[in-house]
Amino acid sequence: MDHFPTNWGRPRHEGFDAYGTFPIHQRPTNGPKDAFKEGIERTQQPIVTGTSVLAIKYKDGIMMAADNLASYGSLARFKDISRLHAVGNNTIIGAGGDMSDFQYIQTILDDITTEEFTAQDGHSLGPAEIHEYLSQVMYARRTKMNPLWNALLVGGVKDGKKFLAYVDLLGTTYSASTLATGFGGHLAIPLLREAVEGREDTLTEEEALRIIENSMRVLFYRDARSLNKYQVAIVTEAGVKISESLKVETSWSFAEGIRGYGAQTQ
Amino acid sequence: MPGMVSMTQPIQQSFNPYTENGGTILAIAGADFTVIAGDTRQSEGYSIQTRYAPKVFRLTDKAVLAVNGFAADGNMFVKKVRQRLEWYRHAHAKDMPIRAIARLIQTMLYARRFFPYYVYNILGGIEEDGTGAVYSFDPVGSYEREACRAAGAAQSLVQPFLDNQIYFKNQTPAAGTAFPKHLPLSTVLPLVIDSFTSATERHIEVGDGLEIYVVLARNSTALAGLQSLRGVQEVTGTNDGERVFVIRRDLKKD
Amino acid sequence: MNTFLERYSSTNAVSQLKRAQRLAEEEDEFTDSAWGSQAGYGQLMNGPPSFTVPNVPDPSSFLRLHTDDHADPNCRIKIQHGTTTLAFRFQGGVIVAVDSRATAGSYIASGTVKKVIEINPYLLGTMAGGAADCQYWETYLGMHCRLHELRNRERISVSAASKYLSNLVYSYKGMGLSMGTMICGWDKTGPAIFYVDSDGTRLKGDLFSVGSGSTFAYGVLDQGYRWDLTDAEAQELGRRSIYAAGHRDAFSGNTCNLYHVKENGWEFIANYDISKLHYDGPGDVAGSPGHGYGYGIRVQGRSSANPPEATAAA
Repeated sequence: MDHFPTNWGRPRHEGFDAYGTFPIHQRPTNGPKDAFKEGIERTQQPIVTGTSVLAIKYKDGIMMAADNLASYGSLARFKDISRLHAVGNNTIIGAGGDMSDFQYIQTILDDITTEEFTAQDGHSLGPAEIHEYLSQVMYARRTKMNPLWNALLVGGVKDGKKFLAYVDLLGTTYSASTLATGFGGHLAIPLLREAVEGREDTLTEEEALRIIENSMRVLFYRDARSLNKYQVAIVTEAGVKISESLKVETSWSFAEGIRGYGAQTQ
Repeated sequence: MPGMVSMTQPIQQSFNPYTENGGTILAIAGADFTVIAGDTRQSEGYSIQTRYAPKVFRLTDKAVLAVNGFAADGNMFVKKVRQRLEWYRHAHAKDMPIRAIARLIQTMLYARRFFPYYVYNILGGIEEDGTGAVYSFDPVGSYEREACRAAGAAQSLVQPFLDNQIYFKNQTPAAGTAFPKHLPLSTVLPLVIDSFTSATERHIEVGDGLEIYVVLARNSTALAGLQSLRGVQEVTGTNDGERVFVIRRDLKKD
Repeated sequence: MNTFLERYSSTNAVSQLKRAQRLAEEEDEFTDSAWGSQAGYGQLMNGPPSFTVPNVPDPSSFLRLHTDDHADPNCRIKIQHGTTTLAFRFQGGVIVAVDSRATAGSYIASGTVKKVIEINPYLLGTMAGGAADCQYWETYLGMHCRLHELRNRERISVSAASKYLSNLVYSYKGMGLSMGTMICGWDKTGPAIFYVDSDGTRLKGDLFSVGSGSTFAYGVLDQGYRWDLTDAEAQELGRRSIYAAGHRDAFSGNTCNLYHVKENGWEFIANYDISKLHYDGPGDVAGSPGHGYGYGIRVQGRSSANPPEATAAA
């Protein structure tokens, strides 16, 4: 037995195995074997990815935005992908991370929406229910060590209540009046909090749009995996509206005078 | 050859199923009450994810559970404990006693011995004999009953303070006097608040808000002083006699 | 077959049967043991409890990655470690003495750990290694000892109990369990101690000490041990040995818990503060030397660094 205290209470480490006992898990297994086991592909890393999603609460409901880019590593592979998806009439979800996993999530959400509809029991799924469902799916997949490689925002309005929450590949969830995934969590959140916190019930749609647009611009300036083409979704008591693609208006003239930015001759 | 990936075996999975979400929890048992508190900040790395994510949960009128560590595991664990408590209620038509909840939590944590919940649990409440109780757990289920315990990001800041102020460690009573065995709620509550304001000052993962649950035994003498407090809210669910209150306070948000 | 149609058609006999089967299967997911008061030990009658294992090629290296703070001090899950425990047999029974410190890295996670696990009124187990492993499996052992009593109308022998535990942990060998325990009791054969650890070792003996402070404890134990120790002498030896380990081993300390196993079961003697033992001794108890265990008293007045108290005051 190893009596050194810091080796106590932890799994055996071959490097410290005083008696060189042969670990059971390394013995050849004679039990039933799945011949295809090693062929099973799991998401070990995201392949085609989307970057930040932003969302805020405002007077009439929830506003969410994501750009139209799906990257393949550093290649800007698809420039017309929608990363916002409506679920029923009260909910919008936005996704960063792996786009194939997001498409899978869209299909399962469509499935449960159909199922709910066919029940015709007078109930419909609101944003809180969709978020709870998604967080259970995400957590279950991480526990199987086979995650859906996404960070998702779920927003919506139902029965006069605004709802906005986050869930990611680990199953981590939280709720706040401003949320952002990916780079947005670092670059946009400070701007959004400054503009939104304490004004969730007074911000007009125009003001909210301006805040979102401004944040998308900041992200486009600094996030190398972003695009100046984005969509905004609005969820109000009236339902979900996803806009056409909008363009981020940028100005690079300031770079002229700064060494290291624009085309400098000297 | 460097840079080449073996084609025969799948690449070793690099997915890390855990993260750390910061925050601190603590619980202190009195003679006929227990205080269970936690801050409400949830963070990952240097980012504050939200300023309000509760870490302390009322299980029954006699038991409150605080969880700290990996938030997703914590929330799932609380959910599963609550499910088991509900099943117990259906089978026995009463709430599970706190010492039984403690053992239940041990077995639930240990069932995941080889894929642990990354959660530090502190269970506080009232024992069947009417005394205040605190049970603290490690992530794989070892537990003990104590009078006070801090866990989480700032445990190493808060626990020594509590040792000194609750257990009177490294203090000598004046000649002819003795330290009290149990402190009154009017002494404990300020200690809890001071613990968290101080932890907020010195730990980046602590702050934003404070939720303090107070569980009172039947006919607890602490009731009168509690009800006059600012912002206290009763969350008792039954008429069994034990009463649960929650006190919310702001902490610094920087 | 159109499963969608099948599912929502209520008239089809086949679909009704299938739905009933599906419901039955769903209920089977929750065994009866999940009900009511039969907490986690509910499946006791169905053999050892089952454990969730991560879905990775090598589960124990996964566990090591996330719980091993020796290889990686930054790993998140810090499992509490045990420290100094001892037990010895003598004419008056068995003395069991342990410290009460639990460390996680260099942080003292607790100074009030109960490292003697009271399996039943006749059996004690000690805790060194993973606190949860010891607590859980020795509790589990206690339940099986009770079942043995019910089945065989007599108490389980210390030998059988320890062998049960040894076989149990051996079946998990390589999975990362960690425990070094002494199963102590009194059975038909008299006082008995068995050392059992998670490697699968099981040893019968008169005297054991386990944990990081064991070398210090052995030092005191070996020079004072005799079979014909009186009860008072034996208790003092156990106390003094744990004190020595608490004094010299950084991972041991805080307090000492002392138990004495006699013919009619174990008896808890007392809890001693190790700092108090150093300066003042165990107080007015059987076997007490009447002064502190520290050598301060033996050097007092002999050197300028240790002036007599009277001089120091003046």
